Amino acid sequence: MTDAAPDSHYTLERPEEAVDPQSIYRDLRDNTPVVQLSGRSTTGTLTISRHEDVMRALRTPELFSSDSSAVQIGNIRPLVPLQVDPPHHSKHRKALDPLFAPKQMVKYEPRVRELIRELIDEVADNGHCNFHNDIAEPLPSTIFVELLGLPVSRVNEFLALKDGIIRPPARSLEERYEMVKATGQKIYAVLEEVVEARMEERQDDFLSTIIDAKVDGQPLSRDDVVDIGYLFFLAGLDTVSASLDCIVAYLAQNPDHRQRVADDPAIIPHAIEELLRYESPVPIVPRITTADTEMSGCPIAEGSRITVLLGSANTDERVWDNPDQVDFDRESNKHLGFGGGVHRCLGSHLARMELRVALEEWHARVPDYRLADGLELRYSPGIRQVDNLELVW
Amino acid sequence: MRIRVDTELCQGHGRCYMLAPDLFEADDDGYSQPTDERAVPAELADQARRAFMNCPEDAVILTEETS
Repeated sequence: MTDAAPDSHYTLERPEEAVDPQSIYRDLRDNTPVVQLSGRSTTGTLTISRHEDVMRALRTPELFSSDSSAVQIGNIRPLVPLQVDPPHHSKHRKALDPLFAPKQMVKYEPRVRELIRELIDEVADNGHCNFHNDIAEPLPSTIFVELLGLPVSRVNEFLALKDGIIRPPARSLEERYEMVKATGQKIYAVLEEVVEARMEERQDDFLSTIIDAKVDGQPLSRDDVVDIGYLFFLAGLDTVSASLDCIVAYLAQNPDHRQRVADDPAIIPHAIEELLRYESPVPIVPRITTADTEMSGCPIAEGSRITVLLGSANTDERVWDNPDQVDFDRESNKHLGFGGGVHRCLGSHLARMELRVALEEWHARVPDYRLADGLELRYSPGIRQVDNLELVW
Repeated sequence: MRIRVDTELCQGHGRCYMLAPDLFEADDDGYSQPTDERAVPAELADQARRAFMNCPEDAVILTEETS
């Protein structure tokens, strides 16, 4: 029973909406803070956009569950720990947090720096590149495949599988479901194969560490290891690429901000946080309600699928001063670019390190760049990659 | 000025130890190392305010003394 939530003509699925989502977020917040969008995957879900409501959803996991029925991404079992609620969530999370802690990330930084330098070497003298294809996609995916322990020689195959889940070229909801399911089976097959090999012989990689991890003093089941791998596969191969796309696309269009980053590398960590706020490369997280409730005066029934608009919370003028102004010196920045609550992005410290090193190295070599003449950027709906990010310098 | 981290609210965003490295430290899981509430030296007051103003979970508890 979601009769009280009005319908909206917005879908948040059309490419033209993805270029400037901030203006749509504002309209939703001001006029329809709980709304049924008319997109294919958002039909039948309630979309919430105000910071206050978003925070409540993130901080009340017992009412706003992350149970796997909240979203369809090709998996046959819940992704661990993303689609597991407390108290089970915290046990798995506790076992995985050390893998991604800042102290660990320090160890991986030299390899990230080496790889980004190699990628930049390939294009620096050309005077132009497709930043998405040449830099933003290969950097994080290669690093993640290496960390996880998948064969690096197959990285392009893995990227295609990841896109098959996140951006299936489907024309209908049914077709999308079938495509995603079929791709999911292929991802399981890859993971089963590698987990099998690591069970036989451990290597220096995340999958081996996860195989030996203990939850409640017990080793994880083989399914658990595969389910953690499935989540890492999707999250690790897409989100940092999209974040790098969004940040560089912004800088390419805003010369003053770009110049500041080029002149003062110490500002880069602040630039990253501010652009994660404003651009919100991962703008949506799903939830499902476990009881009747209400938000912004609108009744919400038990079992409602909720689309939580992090991107809108990050630009809500009810809590932010000048939210549409990108200000690297912003004093207060409690952004939700990595989500919030118990499901705060597990890979956030890896993401920050990769983004920082990439921006440091890029601006050291190519400080003065802009979009190719006449280019209209193509942002993908959902996770906001920019696949035609053609730069010239 | 006194400061502490509410470990129930902390979700390991890492903003406090990034912005206020002289006041906070990451533990082995990436969460803010638990410490007792403590006085903030005058020279670290800016760091303390930055940490307070940038925690997405409102887990940094800052008390301004009014004496």
